[in-house]
Amino acid sequence: MNQPNLNFNYKYGFSMPQKYVFKAKKGLNEEVVAAISTMKKEPVWMTEFRLKAFGIFKEKNMPNWGADLSRINFNEIFYYIKPTNKQVNKWENLPKEIRETYDKIGIPEAEKKYLMGVSAQYESEVVYESVNKQLSKQGVIFCDMGMAVKKYPDIVKKYFGSVIPASDNKFAALNSSVWSGGSFVYVPKGIKVKLPLQAYFRINAEQFGQFERTLIIVEEGGYVHYVEGCTAPVYATDSLHAAVVEIIVKKGARVRYTTVQNWSKNVYNLVTKRSRVEEDGIMEWVDCNIGSQVTMKYPSCYLMGKRARGEVLSIAFSGKNQHQDAGAKMLHFAPDTSSRIISKSISKDGGRTSYRGLVQVRPGAKNSSVYVSCDALILDDRSRSDTYPDMKIKETDINVQHEATVEKLGEEKLFYLSSRGINKTESEGLLVNGFIDPVAKEIPLEYAIELNRLINLEMSGSVG
Amino acid sequence: MAVLIDLNKEKADILKFTRPGDYVVFFHNLSGEFTFSLNSTGINVDIFGLYIGARSSDFVIRTKQHHVSSETTSNLLIKGVFYDDSRFNYQGLIRIENNAQKSHAYQKNQNITLSPNVFIESKPYLEILANDVFCTHGSTTGRLDQNQLLYLKSRRIEKEKAQSLLIEGFLGDLLRKVQEKIPQFDYNIKSYHKLAD
Repeated sequence: MNQPNLNFNYKYGFSMPQKYVFKAKKGLNEEVVAAISTMKKEPVWMTEFRLKAFGIFKEKNMPNWGADLSRINFNEIFYYIKPTNKQVNKWENLPKEIRETYDKIGIPEAEKKYLMGVSAQYESEVVYESVNKQLSKQGVIFCDMGMAVKKYPDIVKKYFGSVIPASDNKFAALNSSVWSGGSFVYVPKGIKVKLPLQAYFRINAEQFGQFERTLIIVEEGGYVHYVEGCTAPVYATDSLHAAVVEIIVKKGARVRYTTVQNWSKNVYNLVTKRSRVEEDGIMEWVDCNIGSQVTMKYPSCYLMGKRARGEVLSIAFSGKNQHQDAGAKMLHFAPDTSSRIISKSISKDGGRTSYRGLVQVRPGAKNSSVYVSCDALILDDRSRSDTYPDMKIKETDINVQHEATVEKLGEEKLFYLSSRGINKTESEGLLVNGFIDPVAKEIPLEYAIELNRLINLEMSGSVG
Repeated sequence: MAVLIDLNKEKADILKFTRPGDYVVFFHNLSGEFTFSLNSTGINVDIFGLYIGARSSDFVIRTKQHHVSSETTSNLLIKGVFYDDSRFNYQGLIRIENNAQKSHAYQKNQNITLSPNVFIESKPYLEILANDVFCTHGSTTGRLDQNQLLYLKSRRIEKEKAQSLLIEGFLGDLLRKVQEKIPQFDYNIKSYHKLAD
């Protein structure tokens, strides 16, 4: 029953020879920050923003809770690498290595199907980008963040850092000072973007931190679904990934943000994701964390307007040497707001999953309702599962519910499947996929298939 | 028969259970940090806490259900009713150590808020280091059930009376559960209720 650990050969763990136009020096100081800004030919206000954020970064302490981050050495990281000179919009024009890398992940196929806009991030700059003509006709803007700073300075200046200020936490400050790449999405009033917008991310340089910055603004009554998927090659030394995602959901608008995080198992993934939701707005985060060594990520919704709604659906999978410290935050500021958090986590082979959540009902948020449900599976006796939900309530006419369970795979279910001639490994894969199904079915099909396949791979053969 | 431990009288912070058997712990309006350590196979501990906050009462309570040995069960229920400017800060941890296989642990915190000025903080934590276990926790905070209030109103029971009936039912449920384990346990819910007056 107890087979040795599955030595899972990381599927996307290939690395390409590096070919760069510009690579910043290792380590971080004001010169590096200024150099990044100069290299990107940014306006003065952004340079100032970066330098100010760097000052905050130096002063901020590391978080004294959550996962173990003591092994991060900020001086051993390259903060900026620019892979090729200019952006290309045709697949054939991409450099050969980059094309090969993407081929292995299967981007072109995915695109052929029904991606309307693929914005693939290789290292720090978006190098491949195709935006459907119809999108532009509708007035929808979908481009990389660096370009947005130059092309749409008014919108960017108004919202950049408005949801997550640099002073929010150490990693938000770090991102604010050295960010590069990421997506900018602007959806005008009343426009509903029918197909999901997608961006693929990769890290391909040793000890290189990726600090993408995404800003999504959806005007009154608009709708967009943004999908972010990650894969990264394996390297021996630790890589740092500290993204910032800011979303503004205006009156009656709706935004869904789906992430399938599958960084290789040496990546520190420390991400700040937050949305501001106005009257009648709906924000939905679908967050799947499969990869990385350490993830700390708590997508949050600030429900500022009446009847605003927030939702987080989360899956975490921790194998050997992994710690997924993930969760959600819901802050109710206005009356009749509602939120729901569904979290499913699985730990195995000594992995650790922690659900960490915050629900806050502020005075005045009358008739608000909150529902939180966290289920955890522990698959062997070396693994660990934690649940840390905090609820702070300062209002009376409300309804806050939280429930959590931790258990192993049902023996009766396994027995039933074995009586139907299904072997143990397959049965376990089936049950784990069934366990996450309520969340997985919310993910676009091709990602759900990938997720299903990843879970089966992770499960195969090694469950004790 | 189960052994009753009245925490208000015991004045102990750490309760270490070392002999198999059934134990019932009861406390009311108690602030402090309490550890219930289950150190032998075959221990079942039921923990009941009752809180009525009124005026400016301020409760800060931490509980830890610590399962050290295998085949142990702990079951915690804390119910609170909060009026006026009262504050309730609860942090409950279930920790199941790697050796404590086949353990069951439950934790439930239910709060009723009766004034917009109350402040409730509920942190039900789990740390599970064993796989062959079953753990659940739940926490609810909210106003009285509006449907139940409406029903009583339709039976011409005035609002104040209806409210106190529902509160008595809510707290009485916990007391009955204690009585199921300890038949001689006797608490007058009415006298409790007066605390809030």
